[in-house]
Amino acid sequence: MDGIRLEILWSNLISIVSEQARALQRIAFSPVVREAGDLAVGMFDAEGRMVAQAVTGTPGHINSLAAAARNILAKYPTENLVDGDVLIVNDPWISAGHFFDITILTPLFYKGRIIAYFGSTIHHTDIGGYGVGAGARDVHEEGLWIPITKLYEAGEPNETLHDIIRHNVRTPDAVFGDLAAQVSSARIGADRLAGLCDRNGLDDIADLAEEIIQRSEDATRQSIRELPGGVYFGECQFDIPGGAVIDLKAKVTVDHDAGEVLIDFDGSSGASPHGINVVMNYTHAYSTFAIRSTLNPDLPNNFGSLAPIKVSAPKGCIINAEYPSPVNARHVVGMYVPFPILDALKDIVPGRVIADSSGAVWTMQIQGRDREGVSFTSSMFNYSGGMGARRDKSGPAATCYPTGVAAVPVEVLEASIPIQFTEKQLNLGSGGDGAQKGGDGQRIGFKMRTGKPWLLNAIPSRLNIAARGFMGGEAGATGRFLVGGKPVSEARKIEVAAEDVVTLETPGGGGFGETPQ
Amino acid sequence: MPGHALAVDIGGTFTDVVLRDSHGRCWVDKTLTTHNDLLEGFFAAVDLAMGKAGATPADVDDVVVHATTIVTNALIERKGPPTALLVTEGFGDVLYIRDEHRYDMYDPLIEFPDPLVPRERTFGIAERVLADGSIEAGIDDAQVAAVAAKLKSAEISSVAVCFLNAYKQPANEQRVRDILLAELPDLYVSLSSDVAPQMREYLRASTTVVNAFTQPITRPYLTALRETLQSRGFPNEPLIMLSNGGIIGADIAGRFPVRMIESGPAAGALVASFYAEKLGIDDLMSFDMGGTTAKACIIQNRTPLVAGLFEVDRQYRFKPGSGFPVTIPSIDMIEIGAGGGSIARVDSLGLMKVGPDSAGSEPGPVCYGRGGDRPTVTDADLILGYLDPSNFLGGDMALDLEGAKAVVGELGQSLKTNLDETALGVFQVVGEQMAAAARAHATDRGIDPRGLPVLAFGGAGPVHANYVAELLESDTVIFPPLASVLSAFGTLVTPARLDLVRGALIRMDQIDWDLVDGILDEIEAEARSALVDAGIDRDAVRFSFGADMRYVGQANEVTVDFAADPRESRDMDDVRRIFEDAYDQLYGLRLKDMKVEIVSWRVTAVGPPVDRQRDADLPATVAAAKGVRRAVFKSGAVDVPVFDRPDLAENQQVPGPAIIEERETTIIILPGWTATVDSLGCIVARRTA
Repeated sequence: MDGIRLEILWSNLISIVSEQARALQRIAFSPVVREAGDLAVGMFDAEGRMVAQAVTGTPGHINSLAAAARNILAKYPTENLVDGDVLIVNDPWISAGHFFDITILTPLFYKGRIIAYFGSTIHHTDIGGYGVGAGARDVHEEGLWIPITKLYEAGEPNETLHDIIRHNVRTPDAVFGDLAAQVSSARIGADRLAGLCDRNGLDDIADLAEEIIQRSEDATRQSIRELPGGVYFGECQFDIPGGAVIDLKAKVTVDHDAGEVLIDFDGSSGASPHGINVVMNYTHAYSTFAIRSTLNPDLPNNFGSLAPIKVSAPKGCIINAEYPSPVNARHVVGMYVPFPILDALKDIVPGRVIADSSGAVWTMQIQGRDREGVSFTSSMFNYSGGMGARRDKSGPAATCYPTGVAAVPVEVLEASIPIQFTEKQLNLGSGGDGAQKGGDGQRIGFKMRTGKPWLLNAIPSRLNIAARGFMGGEAGATGRFLVGGKPVSEARKIEVAAEDVVTLETPGGGGFGETPQ
Repeated sequence: MPGHALAVDIGGTFTDVVLRDSHGRCWVDKTLTTHNDLLEGFFAAVDLAMGKAGATPADVDDVVVHATTIVTNALIERKGPPTALLVTEGFGDVLYIRDEHRYDMYDPLIEFPDPLVPRERTFGIAERVLADGSIEAGIDDAQVAAVAAKLKSAEISSVAVCFLNAYKQPANEQRVRDILLAELPDLYVSLSSDVAPQMREYLRASTTVVNAFTQPITRPYLTALRETLQSRGFPNEPLIMLSNGGIIGADIAGRFPVRMIESGPAAGALVASFYAEKLGIDDLMSFDMGGTTAKACIIQNRTPLVAGLFEVDRQYRFKPGSGFPVTIPSIDMIEIGAGGGSIARVDSLGLMKVGPDSAGSEPGPVCYGRGGDRPTVTDADLILGYLDPSNFLGGDMALDLEGAKAVVGELGQSLKTNLDETALGVFQVVGEQMAAAARAHATDRGIDPRGLPVLAFGGAGPVHANYVAELLESDTVIFPPLASVLSAFGTLVTPARLDLVRGALIRMDQIDWDLVDGILDEIEAEARSALVDAGIDRDAVRFSFGADMRYVGQANEVTVDFAADPRESRDMDDVRRIFEDAYDQLYGLRLKDMKVEIVSWRVTAVGPPVDRQRDADLPATVAAAKGVRRAVFKSGAVDVPVFDRPDLAENQQVPGPAIIEERETTIIILPGWTATVDSLGCIVARRTA
C-alpha cells in the first residue's frame, strides 16, 4: 500500500477512535473520566491486536487496554459471539489492574463476520467493597469481581449481571450511566468503521491492520537502533502511606541488533500487604510509555510499536502482583514505574528524560454526614506535586507526571459536598534547584462544615524520600500530610475530628543539572 | 446621498472595508494593516472606498461597524501594560496551578504559558464567600486601601479581581472595586462576577485576567475611534463586532474586550448564516481556508453555533491546552493547521503528512519564488492545474511551476509515486484532515456532518471545498460573492446582540422561581440597556433564554435553548424535557431516574434583523470559457474549461470539471458536479452524478 492511501485510511481509523473517545468522555458520569480524562479507547483487529488508539486518557489505561483485548480474546471463545454482544471485564489481571477500571469490548460484525473490536476502559465511580484506598487486606475485599462475560447478548442486557452489579455498587445510577456511555461510544466507532469499509470497498481491515502494525513495528525498531546498544541500570525509591519504602530497580537492555528494548525489574521490592500492588499489565503499560517518550515522537501507539519493548519482573513482586494481593490503589506504586527507566536512560538520551517527579497524584475521598444528618460520599479527587526538570526546561509546578489528570476545581467541590478550602497555593521553593529547577508542589488546606467527625481516605506519597535531581540537580522537597496540624502516615481510612483542618503539601520535582554559581 | 453603511475589518495582514449605499451597491477595498496605529489603516481603507463611491462622512448615516484583531494582538504580543490580580487570600497561585492538567501525556518536553499576571503583582485579600453565596468574611477596607497604594506606586493601570464563589455572590468583589476606584479613579477594574460569572475558579480568573490585560489597550483605541469618526463628520457612533456574532456599542466592548477576541472570524461565520437564510438552507458548514489554517463553523437553523469556552494564544505547537481558557460566548469554530502554506512531507513510517508546519506567506510556497524550499499545498494545487501560474492575484504575481514540480517530484521519489499522484496525494491528505476535523467538531455537538452543505471562502477554501464536501458526503457547495472582504461584509448583515451568562446552581426539584426571576430580570435589564446604547429601540429588543444543565453528579454541562421564557410557564417538566432532548441529541441517552440541575442561566438579547442586501449586478449574457487547461482529478487528467467569475451570467450553468477564477481565489468544480450562478451572485455547485 502506498504512503498516500495508507495515510488516508490510517488517519480515518484514528479519527474514528477519537470520535469514540470524545463521545465517551462527554457522556460519562465519573468525574475522573469527564474532568480528568481517565479513560482509554482503542480499536483492535479480528485477532485482538490494537490498531488505533485515541490520543487521550492515561498511559496506564491505554496500554493496559491493549493487553486486555488480547487477554479477553485469548480466553473467550469468539465463535460464541453474535452481533449485538458486548463483553465486559474488570479482572485486575486481565485488564487495568484494579476493579474500578471496567473494560468493555464490542465486536463489529461486517458482512457476516467479525472484522474488528472497539474497546474502552474507564475508571468507574464505585465498584463496591472497600471503596477508594489501599486498606483492603486482599483483592476480594476490594469490590465486585466481574469475570469476562457478556454485558449485552445480541443487543439485550444480561439481566442477571445487571442485577448483580446493581446490588454490589454504591452508586448504581452512575455506574450504569457510565457503562451505557462505554457501550454507545463503541457503537459509534463500529458504525463509522463499517462506513469506512463501505466507502473504500473493503471487506475487512486485515490487510490494512497488518500494514499499520508492520510499519509501526519496523519504525520502532529503527528508532531503538538509533540508541547506543548496551545494558543500563536505574533505580527509584519512594515511600508510601504507612511509611514503607518501595524500591524499583530497572535493568534496561538496548539490543541494537534486534531493535528491541528489554526491561527487567529484578531486585525490586516484594509485595505489599496494602492495596498498592501492581499487576503486570499496568507495569508493562508504564514501562512502554517511558521508553516511547524517549524515542522518535512520530511513532504511533499500537500493537506493532509496543511489540519491540519487552518487560519482565519477578513473580509476586510489588510490580508483578499475584492473586490474592490487594491492588486497589495500584497507581500509588505504578506511577513510579517510568522513573527507574528514565534514570537508566539519562546518559544516553539526556534531552528527552525528566528528573524524578513528585510521582503519584495524591487522591482523596471523603465520607460523612452533613449538618442535617444526610450521608454523603465525595467522588475521588486528586492533587499534583511538581514535575521534574528537563535538561533544557524547568519542571512545571503542580503538574503530575507520568499521568496528568486535572484537579477538580475548588468551587465545584465546595458546591457538591460540605467542604471548605482554606488555601490552595504553590509551595514556593519545593522544586529542586538546578540548572533547570524542578516544579514546585502545592499546599492545600481544607475542613468540613458538618459539625461532626468524618472519614478521610487519603493516599499521599513521598513524605520521607524526595524526588531526586538528575545530573547534579537537587532533590525536590518531600511532601507533608497533616491532620489538625499533626503529621499522619496511615494507609487506611482515618476519622477526622469535626474542627480539624487537613493540610496537604505535595512534593516538589527534582532539578536538572548543577545550579549555576 | 445618505443611507450609506460602512464596515471595517482589521485582520492580521489586511484591513478590509465595505461601503454600501441604500440601494445595496457595495464598494470594497483592502489596505495593509498598520500595526503601530491601527486607525491609520482604518481610515486609509475608508478613504479609498469613500473616494470610489464619491461619498462623504455625512452620507454614512446608517451603521459604522467594526471588527478588529486588536485584542488578540495585544494578547499574543503581550502588549498590555502591567496588570494586577486580586484573589482570595490563600489562593494566589490560581494562574500558575491552572487545572493541573498535563494536556499532552506523551510529550516529555511540554510547556505551559507564563501567566499574564505574575506572582509579584498578585495580591491575596482576606475575604471569603461560601459556596451557598453567604459571606463568611467581608472586606477589610484598610487592607484594600493598602493594596491600592501599592498599585499606585507600581503604576498599575488595570486590575482583575477574582474571589472564590464570586459567581454566586459578587458583594465582596464590588466592595473592592468601590474602594479601589475611590483611591485610583483612572484604574481599569475587571470583576470576575461581571466578566464571567460562572463556577470554576481557574477559568473565571483566566477570563477576567485576559479582560484586564487587554482593557488598557482596547478602551483608548475605541475612544480614539469614536473621536476620530466624530471629528471627521460621521454622524453615528461605531458598533463593535463581538466573538458571539453580535454587534454592540463601543462602551460595552471597551469594558469587556475579552468578548471581542474572535471578532473577525465571527463575522465570517455570520456571512454563512446570512446566506443560509437567503438560500433557504437550515444547516450548513462554513469552511474558511487561508494560508496557514482552516476554520469550520456549523450553522444550525440558520444561526451559527455559539460555544461557552474557547482558548486563546496556544503557545506550544498550537496544542489545545497550551493557551489561556476564556469562558465567553463565542462563535463555535474549529481551527486546524491546514492551509495553502502547509508543508507536505514523508514521515519516518513512510506516510505522507501535511502540516501543521507551514511556510505561511513568508517565505510561502515554493511557487511564490520567495525562498520557500519545501512542498506545500499550494504547490500541489498548481501542479494539479487548479491554479494558473500566470493569473494568480489577477496576474500580479507569477507562480513558479517548475520550482513546485521539482520539490513535489522529490517528495514522490520517497513515496514511489509519480508527480501527478504525489500532488493529488497532498490535495487528498489535506482534504481528509479538514474533513476529519469538521466531522469531529460536528459529532462533538451531536450533529451528523454527513450531507451538510458547505459554504467556502478564504484564499484556498474554494480550491478545496468541493473535495472536502465529497468526503463529508455533502451534495451542495456554495461560493459567496465578495469573498475577499467577507468578514467586513459579515458585520453589515449582523443584528446587535449580547449574550450574558450567570452561574447559579439550582437543583430542579428545589427550584425557587422568585430567585430565578431575580437573576433573569437582572440580566435582561443589563442586556437591554447595552442594546439601547447601541442604538436599538427599547421595544425592538428580543430576548431568548437558555441554560447550562446537567444530571446531578455530572461535572460538565449541556447548553440548552428554551423556546420561550421559562418563567412564563414555570413548567419544570418542560424544562427537563428540553434538557433531555438536547442530551439525547448529543449522547443518544436519557436517564429517567436522575435528578437534573441548572448550573448557569443564559440570556441572549438581539436587535431587529438587518436586511439591506439586494440582487447582484450580473451580466445578462452567458459567458463562454476563456480557455482550457489540463487539470488532474482522482479520475485522471483532463482538459478543463476555465471561466472568469465576473463574466458569469445569472442562472448560468457550468458543468464540472470546471475552473472559475477570481482575483483572490479559484473555484474548483469537480467531475460529477455542476455549478449554477444565482441572483445574489453566489455560485452553487451541486452533485449531479
